[in-house]
Order: sequence, then C-alpha cells, then structure tokens
Amino acid sequence: MKKILVCLKQVPHKDARLDVRSDGSWIQDDNIKFEINDYDTYALEEALRLKDQGEAEVVVATVGPERAAQALRTALGMGADRAIHIWDDALAETDGLGIAKALAAAAKDENFDIIFTGLMSDDANCAVTGPMLAELLGIPHITAVVKTEFKNGDVEVERELEGGALEVASLPQPCLLAVQTGINEVRYASLKGIMQAKKKPLDKKDLGELGLDAAAVAPKLTVEKIFVPPKGAGAEIIEGPADEVASKLVGKIKELGLF
Amino acid sequence: MIEWSEEQLAFQAAVRRFIEAEIVPNLEELEHGDTPPYEVLRKLYDTFGIAEMQRARFKSLMKQDGAEKAAAPTEEREGSGETLAMQLILTLELSRYCPGMVTAMGVSVGLTSAAILGRGTRAQKERWALPLLTFEKIGAWAITEPGSGSDAFGGMRASARRDGEGGYILNGNKTFITNGPFADTIVFICKLDDGSEPKDRKLLSFVLDRGTPGLTQSKPLRKMGLHSSPTGELHLQDVHASADQLLGESEDAYGRSGAKQTFGMERAGVVSMALGIVGRCLELCVEYAREREQFGRPIGEFQLIQLKLAKMEVARMNLQNLLFRQIELAQHSQRMSFAEASACKLYAAQTAMEVALEAVQLFGGNGYMAEYQVEQLCRDAKVLQIYGGTDEIQITQIARDLLSR
Ligand SMILES: Cc1cc2nc3c(=O)[nH]c(=O)nc-3n(C[C@H](O)[C@H](O)[C@H](O)COP(=O)(O)OP(=O)(O)OC[C@H]3O[C@@H](n4cnc5c(N)ncnc54)[C@H](O)[C@@H]3O)c2cc1C
Repeated sequence: MKKILVCLKQVPHKDARLDVRSDGSWIQDDNIKFEINDYDTYALEEALRLKDQGEAEVVVATVGPERAAQALRTALGMGADRAIHIWDDALAETDGLGIAKALAAAAKDENFDIIFTGLMSDDANCAVTGPMLAELLGIPHITAVVKTEFKNGDVEVERELEGGALEVASLPQPCLLAVQTGINEVRYASLKGIMQAKKKPLDKKDLGELGLDAAAVAPKLTVEKIFVPPKGAGAEIIEGPADEVASKLVGKIKELGLF
Repeated sequence: MIEWSEEQLAFQAAVRRFIEAEIVPNLEELEHGDTPPYEVLRKLYDTFGIAEMQRARFKSLMKQDGAEKAAAPTEEREGSGETLAMQLILTLELSRYCPGMVTAMGVSVGLTSAAILGRGTRAQKERWALPLLTFEKIGAWAITEPGSGSDAFGGMRASARRDGEGGYILNGNKTFITNGPFADTIVFICKLDDGSEPKDRKLLSFVLDRGTPGLTQSKPLRKMGLHSSPTGELHLQDVHASADQLLGESEDAYGRSGAKQTFGMERAGVVSMALGIVGRCLELCVEYAREREQFGRPIGEFQLIQLKLAKMEVARMNLQNLLFRQIELAQHSQRMSFAEASACKLYAAQTAMEVALEAVQLFGGNGYMAEYQVEQLCRDAKVLQIYGGTDEIQITQIARDLLSR
C-alpha cells in the first residue's frame, strides 16, 4: 500500500479583511476566518485521487496553532485517513526552514512514497517549504506540477514554465511534488465524510515529541515590517481610444503575469 | 448549544464553497431565466451525499415503525439534532443567495415527504416519500385555494367523492403551490363530500402523480420575488384516485393535525432562512459602509448608518439563538409547541423584512438596483411574512395560546 503525505497550511480566508497589525509584525488575525491554503487543496485532491484508484493511505500534516486543527478536520472530511498536527509555542516565530524541519521530523520515520505540498502559500508566498522539506529528507522534488502520472515506481509530471510552456520530467519514488492550482477539480467534503472525520486519528505533536527544540527552529530570517504601499504610487494611467487602451491593458496584465 | 460544532462549521464551509462555485455564477439565469432550480439542487444532494444519507435514514425509520405502527405520526424532528442542524445549515447557506431555492427544496424534501411520512402507510412511504427524500422526484403540497388561504380549512372547496368502488373522484383548484408546475408527486388536501355540512366534512389527503388524467399543472406564476422557486396552480377535474392514494388509506388518518404538523415544520425552517438573509445583508452592508464615501468619509462613520448596522447585528444574534434553540431541542428529542413555532416564525419573518429594507436604504440608489444583491433579498424576504401562515395569523395563534392558559 502506498503511503502519501499531504502538507497543508491554514491561511486567512480569501474573503477575510486583512489589516496590518499596528506593530507591523504581521496581519491582524485574531478575529478572521481561515481556510486551507488554495494550493494545498489541489495537492490534497491529487493525493485523494491516488487513493481512489487503489490502495493508498493519505496522511495530512500541518504546522500551526490550535485553530489549524480545523483545516486538518476538513481534509479528513474530504477523505484523508489520518492527521498530524504539529505545534509548539517556539514555532510561532519560526521561518520556512523551521516549518520544514518540523515536518521532516514528523515524516522521517513514516517512509512516505509520495509527499504532496502546494507550490506556495496564499499568505506568505515564500514557496520554500516543499523544496526544503524534500532536501531535509534527502528525496527529489519538483515544483509547479500541473499533471501527474504514476508509472511503475516512477512519477511522470508536467510542470509549468514561464509563458505557458510545459516541462515534462520524471522522478523516482519517494519524492515530493509541489502542486500548482487548477491541476484538478477539488472535491467537496461529503456530509458523511464530515461526520466520520471526528473518528479519524489526529495526532498532536510538539517539538519535544519530534526530537527538536526551540533552538533548532529559531528563525534565520526575521521579518522587519509588513506594510501596505501608499495609494497612488506606481499607478500607470493608460490613455487613448478604448480599443487601444483595452489591448494595452491586456498586454500589461499578461506582462505582470496576473493572468 | 452556544456555538456551531467543528463538523457543522466544516459542512457550512463546504456548502458555501459549492454555492459560490455552482449557484452564484448562475444566479441571474436561475432568478430571471427559465432554469428551474432542481438540477443544481440535485447536484448539491449528490455532491454532499445527502441522498445517500436520506436513504439510510428512511431505512431506519421504516425499521422503527412496524407494520401496525405504520400510520402513526412520525416525529420528523426526533432523533439526532445533528441531522436537523445540517438541514438548517443548508437552508441558511442557500438563503444567503437564493431563498427561492430553499423554498423549492424545502417544500419537496421537507413538507411533502414529511406529510407522507407522517400519515402514509408503509407502502405509500416507500412509493412516494423515499424518492422525494432523495430528490429523485419533486414534490408539492397543496392546501391553498383561490378562495381559501389563511382560512385554509374553513374555506376549502376542493372535494373528494366516493366512487362507490372503493376509490374517489377529486375536484378543485389550488393556487400558489410551490413546485406546482414541475411536481412529480402532489399531496392534495381536500374535504370528503359525503353530503354533510361543509364544516363537518372530513379532511382527506391524496397523493397524485404527474400526468394523472384530469390534473392540470399550470405554468409558473409571475411574482414579486423568490423567482427561483416555481409557484403555480393545480386544477383537478374529475380526477380518479384509488384507495391506495388516500394518505393512511383511511378516511380518519389525516385530519387537521396532519396539516398542522406540516405548518409547524414550515415555521421552523423560516428561522434559518431569515438568518441567511439577515447575515448576508449585514455582511454586504458592513462592507458597503466601509467603502462608500460621502461628505468626505465612509458612510459607516455616520451614526445613522451605525444604528442600522447595530440593529442588524442584534437581529442576527437573536435569530441565531432561536436556531440554536431549535437544534438543542431536537438534540433532546423535544420540539417546540405550535405557539412557540408561530412566535419564532413571526419574529424571523418580520426581522428579515426589516433588515432587508434597511439594507436597501443603506445602499441608497445602488440598493434599488438589481446589480446589488440586497434588492433581491429584500423582494425575497417579503414572502416570509406571507407563506406558512401570514404574520397576522401567527399573531392570532400566539395570542390564542396565551389567552387559553
Ligand atoms: C411564494 C408562495 C409560495 C406558496 N407556496 C404554497 C404551497 O406550496 N402550498 C400551499 O398550499 N400554499 C402555498 N402558498 C400560499 C400561502 O400559504 C398563502 O398565500 C397564505 O397562507 C395566505 O393566504 P392568502 O394568500 O389566501 O391570503 P388571505 O388569507 O386572503 O389574507 C389576506 C390578508 O388578510 C389577513 N387575514 C386573513 N385572516 C385574518 C384574520 N383572521 N385576522 C387578521 N388578519 C387576517 C392576512 O394576514 C392577509 O394580510 C404560497 C404562497 C406564496 C406567496
């Protein structure tokens, strides 16, 4: 039976109002709604599809405070088999490397065949956790995956390049795949699935239980300040007849990679 | 119950995601086009495995009542409050965008199937209630007539005559019937014409299939709001019904208590609809009050606007507490008295209307424009004060209960 790990992160809900904290350390997240990082939902769906096809155990893991348990329950409701919830106060200030270390410690004795992560997180946008986790575990990884095919022990993937080009690559298992959005159609948790989620195992682990300590996850990177750029600066006004403006605007949107 | 549970929140989030992906983009077509709501509702049922759960629930219900108990009233609200909570969450979430859809769904899966489950024989439940519960078939529950609404029993003209061979001949006109134009299964309520005084006649209820000779189902009527819920008329001219179409297969099975049970259920559902409408209005209004600027500042800084928002929040809190009470009662296998359900319905309907009107006001000219959702919610909210017993009728019933103590 294949063993699959999906790492997911709980991030502010896409409809949540984002205000920067007065000390500029992060956003004000005391009273907002959270959801599973969009990228990670595609990663989870990809894993659940493998499970649907045959024998596979799907484990989900997250590093996050108490509230992040909800994200794990949702994943269990969608069909994952068990969950690992890693948290420790010392992780509150950590960086991507610290998170990757915690995940690696939880994953190392499990011998997963495939690890899925999202390409990046909607909130921090670092896109480092997946690759660092793979490096720490000493397994190959590939990012921006838009298609997967599992062939006798290998994984064949398509990954997205700049400007719409695709790259085809092949990796041996075990390996880590960091998934792009839109790669599949993410299922909904069924009512029955949600009811059953409560009965599925959810292991909580702190740093001690993972054989780590605060020093091991001390951040190498410190965030100095978060701020919203002042309004107006950098605005570009396109002028001319409507059709020209429209085509220039489309060009601009493409150039900025917004679409 | 002081908060939604983790599972309930998870279900809520999943349903919301479905609605935003499948319903919101098609809202225009559902509200103003010719697309009936059933296909997307069926998809919702499939997606969340609700049909499957209903089937399981039906099975256990059938096990509970043995053949001899088949005609006894089924306590629709009994059992786990969890099932009720999930139903109410569905209602609540759908009402944020499409109260019409809730009505179409609730009348079919809720009212019509419950009427059959409550009074039908085992065979009738299997034949008609199960396909309604799973949404394979669409149901309608018809009591209102052109000449009798609030006085549904007293003014009823629809009639059944014995045909002398164990069957019945049905005649009458029904109006304002939700799902009437598309229903596969219709519960038709009428009086037994046995030559006695109309006020003494027994109330009977028949189950009719679409396509029965003599039964005409009108096209949807045009109305103020609730456009995604088709409402129509039914005309019956010498429709023949066999004894096995009479609910309970006995002339004494239905009676007023059968219809009253259905009214009670309808009233409970209105609270969650109102909460959906109020919650959505509040959300839209807070956003608008922050963004819309007049006199050089966001309108949310004006105290008159703040008062509106604060009142909406109070309404939301009250409705949520009423909803939690319903769930809590169900968790203890209890249900509201008829008078309490009436009080809840009255409060919920009036509150939804008030809030929706204030939401339109807060949006100013934009509020009056169809592009902004509050316009639709305001039109839709009005129906809560009319169907399932008008506000006036709820008031009468609350007062009657108070004065009879
Ligand atoms: C969208 C929609 C869907 C509906 N769906 C269904 C359905 O699926 N099945 C069904 O059977 N019916 C349905 N109805 C009908 C609905 O239940 C009736 O419209 C409602 O009960 C009111 O009856 P009426 O319209 O005849 O009004 P009336 O009874 O004529 O009332 C007119 C006015 O008089 C007031 N009034 C009446 N009696 C009294 C009194 N004793 N004291 C004080 N005031 C009084 C009323 O409150 C109202 O203000 C639906 C209605 C609508 C609008």
